[in-house]
Amino acid sequence: MLIRKLFRTAWKYKAQFISMILMVAIGVGIFVGFNMEWYSLDVNTSEFFEGTNYADFRIYSETGFSEEEIERIQEIPEVEDASRVFAVNVDMKGDTDKLALFVPEKDTVSTSVLMEGTAYDADEEGFWLSGSYAKANNVACGDTLTLTYSGIEIAGKVKGLIYSAEYMVCVADENQLMPDYDNFGFVYASPQTVFGKLRMEFYPQINICSELEKNEMEDALRTALGKTTLVTSKEEHYPYAGAQSEIEEGKTMAAILPVLFLGIAILTMVTTMHRISSNEKVQIGTLKALGFKDRRILRHYTSYGLFLGVVGSVIGIALGYLVAWVVVNPNGMMGTFMDMPNWTLYVPWIGWIMVVLTIVLLTLISLLSVKKMLWGTAADALRPYQPKKVKAMKIEGTKLWEKMAFATKWNFRDVMRHKSRSFMTLFGILGCMLLLVGGLGMKDTMKGFISLIDEEVYDYNTKINIVETADNETVEQFAEKVGGDWMATSGIQLEDKTVSLEIYDVTHDMVRFIDEDNAGVTLEDDGAYICIRLAENGIKVGDTVSFSPYGEEETYSVKVAGILRSVLTENLVMTKEYAEQVGIPYHISSVFTMEAQENIKDEAFISGKQSKQALMESFDAFMEIMNIMVYILVLAAVVLGIIVLYNLGIMSYVERSRELATLKVLGFKDKQIGKILISQNVWLTVVGVIIGLPSGVGVLYVLIKALASEYELRLIMGPLTYVVSIVVTFGVSIVVGLFVARKNKKIDMVEALKGTE
Amino acid sequence: MSLVEFKDVTRIYTNGDHELRALNGVNMTLEEGEFVVILGPSGAGKSTLLNMLGGLDSPTSGQILVEGKDISTLSANELAEYRSNKVGFVFQFYNLIPTLTVYENVALVKEISKNPFNPAKMIAEVGLSDHSKNFPSELSGGEQQRVSIARALAKNPKILLCDEPTGALDSETGVMVLKLLLSMARNYGKTIVIVTHNQNIAKMADVVIRVKNGKIKSCEKQENPLSAEEMEW
Repeated sequence: MLIRKLFRTAWKYKAQFISMILMVAIGVGIFVGFNMEWYSLDVNTSEFFEGTNYADFRIYSETGFSEEEIERIQEIPEVEDASRVFAVNVDMKGDTDKLALFVPEKDTVSTSVLMEGTAYDADEEGFWLSGSYAKANNVACGDTLTLTYSGIEIAGKVKGLIYSAEYMVCVADENQLMPDYDNFGFVYASPQTVFGKLRMEFYPQINICSELEKNEMEDALRTALGKTTLVTSKEEHYPYAGAQSEIEEGKTMAAILPVLFLGIAILTMVTTMHRISSNEKVQIGTLKALGFKDRRILRHYTSYGLFLGVVGSVIGIALGYLVAWVVVNPNGMMGTFMDMPNWTLYVPWIGWIMVVLTIVLLTLISLLSVKKMLWGTAADALRPYQPKKVKAMKIEGTKLWEKMAFATKWNFRDVMRHKSRSFMTLFGILGCMLLLVGGLGMKDTMKGFISLIDEEVYDYNTKINIVETADNETVEQFAEKVGGDWMATSGIQLEDKTVSLEIYDVTHDMVRFIDEDNAGVTLEDDGAYICIRLAENGIKVGDTVSFSPYGEEETYSVKVAGILRSVLTENLVMTKEYAEQVGIPYHISSVFTMEAQENIKDEAFISGKQSKQALMESFDAFMEIMNIMVYILVLAAVVLGIIVLYNLGIMSYVERSRELATLKVLGFKDKQIGKILISQNVWLTVVGVIIGLPSGVGVLYVLIKALASEYELRLIMGPLTYVVSIVVTFGVSIVVGLFVARKNKKIDMVEALKGTE
Repeated sequence: MSLVEFKDVTRIYTNGDHELRALNGVNMTLEEGEFVVILGPSGAGKSTLLNMLGGLDSPTSGQILVEGKDISTLSANELAEYRSNKVGFVFQFYNLIPTLTVYENVALVKEISKNPFNPAKMIAEVGLSDHSKNFPSELSGGEQQRVSIARALAKNPKILLCDEPTGALDSETGVMVLKLLLSMARNYGKTIVIVTHNQNIAKMADVVIRVKNGKIKSCEKQENPLSAEEMEW
């Protein structure tokens, strides 16, 4: 019988029940969804990496590795597997497209996953093409491809379309950030397909699978090969690093705002649950008087919390899948960044724990709020819930109070009398405001960061990448001819970190440098500049830091002359003059020029060209992933605000219905009463906005701090963010207020004025 | 012209298939300055009658003329206007706003009434000046009802409508409240309509209307009503 009562009671309080279920659903949904995002990426990429034996280390030799060398490496006990690899960028014949050609000697390391056609076979001639590239360029299995490498044509049939973890983020060079399958893809080929045409066998790279640490691997290789080789760990390989940074970013996003969100949802539940049990007080008394045992009654009322928690969580998990799917799906933003076979969504353990905790908490809340009412006799319980008596407040003696309209006084006292309800309303508004400010501010900050790069830092039109074999003199002459500046970048070991050393020769103002306050800085020739991330590691201006170039023993010491905001890499920046003073060897890697991409003739030393516009577009695409999360959050904030306010509004309306009926009988018009109700909302909104604005900025600050290992962001809040946040919050509050106020038209004066019960 | 005229007023409440005729063709007239008592058992329709007159409810059919104007066809807003200027209510359960003080509860009417009396003066007349700053919950039932009388009169209405005004009070307090109600209504020349099932109160009335089964059973004028002092309670 009592179960019937549960459903009927749920129906009676349907507004509250539905809003509580929605609140739980949205709170759980956002939390689970945001955590599913990074976790699903983590699981899917890990499975992809492990399933294809993605190499842990890559070592390089310009002269190529011999058969003897690979054997010696395979003999290292900790090396699970290793394969020589020929990996270069080649041209598509009759097209400007480029492909990354990957020729593994053995098909056991860095293998591929078949999408269509026949699987890769090292003994078979032909190409296995990137499925995404094939789709973008309408290539199908059975088509013939002709590639050119150093003027030699290599032709073959496309045997299969594949995914490869080695090219999961398939970019021509790291500065490209975002894959562009229209123009760049990858292709696997068997050794005989390629080396037959090239008439030589050349393996400048070895991919190694091993559990060793990087320095252990370096030592092991030094012993095995008798020389120092350049080792890159997977952490330095773009597909792995890119995936990890997306996962980290996802974790950061999931760790702050969604937690706040769930917190707000649960706190609101506490008030609502308490109110409902208060309203049920007489029923509880009746049940008790009928002879139901306390435990039975407790169990009955506890089942409300359980019911709400379970239904809300189930919907929430479904919502979480939707939220995660928006980001993690092969056709979404993340799909344009990563190219992998599986996009399965997984709920992480933290998600399940939170779901269970939410359900337990809600059950506990209903238990506690009823338990209090069960104390004492049935007669006590039968007495209806009495709100606290009103006491005079200090402010009442003042002249200001005398002048207040009655509505103001009424609202003021009502707020004070129902402190927890008012506090929750305030909290809902504050939460809505905070999430709006935090979310939109994040977007502003990111957008500001990109336009900073666009307007203040890079002033070139085209970036020309230089091959490693080119000599500096030729490139300097070329740079002079195109009116360009150049940069030499290389990996260095600074303390225990791998950072990038960037040596600049800036005479044409193609690239600029900015300090922590985004003010322009002219590089001096008397020291090196560290990025903010390094500065936060404890390096100060005036310190001397030592570093050694990647894979070399040589150590150089430089004086820190200043701190720069780095737009991308964690780096150490210096001028050509200072590098020469200290005696650091360098090799020019890029030239920046105003010349348009198409006006620059191909040269042997040019490995690629990239317009600034293309770079900015890939930046934008990159930020789009974060923006989607921000939009989800903002939307959820608005929905949460609406639900919390509506719920509390209805509650306050119900509690005051007798008073409202009295006002109506006295001759107050519906409009006047509505105004009184809304003005309470407006006040609370004003307070909520005043507190919410700085809190939102605070949350944003924490978020930016948490992202500091990836981006050197500077908190930026556009005026529009302030305006939108305030207007939306007020809008939500007023619209909901109007909805609630409309209800007072329906008050049955006669009914409401009958006896107290 | 009579102050109030009911013409064939019927009120039917429907609840699903069930139909309840709370009023069934009521005709009556009330004159200005009269003290009217409506008597009848529970469920006879007397409260419905009062609510119709007070503009809380509208008849299903028929007309209610107040000062010659039909109030049965007014909109919700016009009815609110009517309530704020023409009628004052006193309820069995006082219906004061718990979050407003005695003074504020009475002063409330200044926001809606065109020509209100001074709230402080009204409170003084019901003898509660010392309690102006108290909240309703700090007063006894009789005191609360006196506040409610002050509030009803402060609007300066034409008619004072009282639904069992002494119903929740002990008899001694009830008599005191009733005396106060009558003397104030007389002093200010208000028409007063009291709904009750207390036969004694009827002895003081100018007009006694008996209601049964939604119909007026009798309507008698009393030439020599007893004064409150002459009553034996």
